Amino acid sequence: MNRFIECIGVGKIYPGKDQPVEALRGIDFACEAGEFVCLLGRSGCGKSTLLQMVAGLETPTAGQIVVAGKELQGPSPYAAIVFQDHGLFPWMTVQKNVEFNMKARGTPAAERRRIAAHFIAMTSLTGFEGRYPHELSGGMRQRVGIARALTTGPKALLMDEPFGALDAQTRGKLQDEVLQIWQAGRTTVLFVTHSIDEALLLADRILVFSPRPGRIAADIRVDLPRPRVPQSAGFTALARELRELVGADREID
Amino acid sequence: MQWRRALGLLPLALLLLAWHIAVELKVYPPVLLPPPAKVAMVFIDDWQTVLDNAAASIARVLTGITLAFLFAVPLGLMIGRYRLLDTMTDWSIQIFRSIPPISLIPLALLFLGIGDKPAIALIFLAGTWPLLINTIFGVRGIERTLIKVARAARASELLVMKDIILPASLPAIFTGLRLAVGGGWLTVVTAEMIAVKSGLGYMILNAQLTFRSDLIIAGIVVIGAIGLLADQLVRRVRASVCRWQEGLTASPE
Ligand SMILES: Nc1ncnc2c1ncn2[C@@H]1O[C@H](COP(=O)(O)OP(=O)(O)OP(=O)(O)O)[C@@H](O)[C@H]1O
Ligand SMILES: [Mg+2]
Repeated sequence: MNRFIECIGVGKIYPGKDQPVEALRGIDFACEAGEFVCLLGRSGCGKSTLLQMVAGLETPTAGQIVVAGKELQGPSPYAAIVFQDHGLFPWMTVQKNVEFNMKARGTPAAERRRIAAHFIAMTSLTGFEGRYPHELSGGMRQRVGIARALTTGPKALLMDEPFGALDAQTRGKLQDEVLQIWQAGRTTVLFVTHSIDEALLLADRILVFSPRPGRIAADIRVDLPRPRVPQSAGFTALARELRELVGADREID
Repeated sequence: MQWRRALGLLPLALLLLAWHIAVELKVYPPVLLPPPAKVAMVFIDDWQTVLDNAAASIARVLTGITLAFLFAVPLGLMIGRYRLLDTMTDWSIQIFRSIPPISLIPLALLFLGIGDKPAIALIFLAGTWPLLINTIFGVRGIERTLIKVARAARASELLVMKDIILPASLPAIFTGLRLAVGGGWLTVVTAEMIAVKSGLGYMILNAQLTFRSDLIIAGIVVIGAIGLLADQLVRRVRASVCRWQEGLTASPE
């Protein structure tokens, strides 16, 4: 097995204001290069924390994270992350925001513009290049964050509830786009979601988290053929199983 | 909208009226309290004196504040960014900013003699503290996610400073600049009464010796008017430089 991302006994305790907060404990999992893994779980069970640790933005307080055979030290060169709260620079236009990751890598300006135009079109933001984030809707902001993460062709794409604020139609379209990018580039994707259906539409594997402290309660392989059909018997059966595991409705929270 | 702006002139009109009535009632003899018309004549008969002295004061403030800006803004950006520098400078800043620049006039005269130098040095000090403190405050206020975006992109320290820390702090820096210009203007007038033989401060002090209360009052009017203009100018520049901030902050009803 070709392990691309591996967490070994990973735990995270935040210092906290009054008392320490144990966000994660004993996280063990490995995923192969090119795998699409969804992280599913209630609010506060440490999904964002885990994603940021895999990106190298937070350091584990226990255990270690190995990416591409090396223990992570600081921000990972393989990963691009889509933040839950967008993380757009309010003083930059859409164009500048999308170009930022490339600029940080020293990509020449002309190439930046060409690649940015491609992903701006893909996320249906054409015509809004000159706008500032505060002039966009929540869904549009999320799409800018997604476009920015895709520009550098990352080996690992870490997405933190990227489609949370989108309408069903845009959501469906972007799910297709992410699947296409994933299939074309054999990108490894870690994808946080609150939606059981979304996880079943996208994932090879679903990690179900349980809270306080965050742990992996179940690791479920989704062997349904693609493209996935939500009405199929296998889909509904798995959905039922997952609903029981997280102990909630379709949209958990 | 236009006539609403005119409301701002109301208190000034009332003051003028009170002045007029006081003159009519002969509260003070005309040598001490000249009628408004006589003060207005100063701008026709002595316009050269007023203009030369105003220009001298403005030049000093411009020099002092420019120096303060070049010194305090880069320093503030560094202190705001690097904890160690902050720990090192925090007490010193708190101590020195509590010293009124005026109280340093005697020292400035001893070290720098009579002339432009002590005046500019004091304006520099008056402008440095608000600029420094507001710049640090601006850097501190940056959203944590935005710094994470930069780290995830593995942006160089220079790019982080230039594209993130500086633009994010600009609104606060301009707040500091407004305070600095205000403080510098207060300081120049006082310094000119003691340390230099030109400028509006010198002009009104000298006018007292020659019993020209019309010139004193005209000088005070000019000092106030320039203060207002300078403030409006900084606000305009801020509004155009920080255009991205429009709509982010609540505007007063
Ligand atoms: N910087 C921080 N400092 C202190 N505590 C934190 C910090 N970040 C997260 N936590 C705590 O860690 C726990 C896990 O947070 P995290 O954001 O990872 O959850 P999540 O699963 O992403 O939740 P959601 O689905 O609501 O986004 C929470 O209890 C949270 O309060
Ligand atoms: Mg989260």
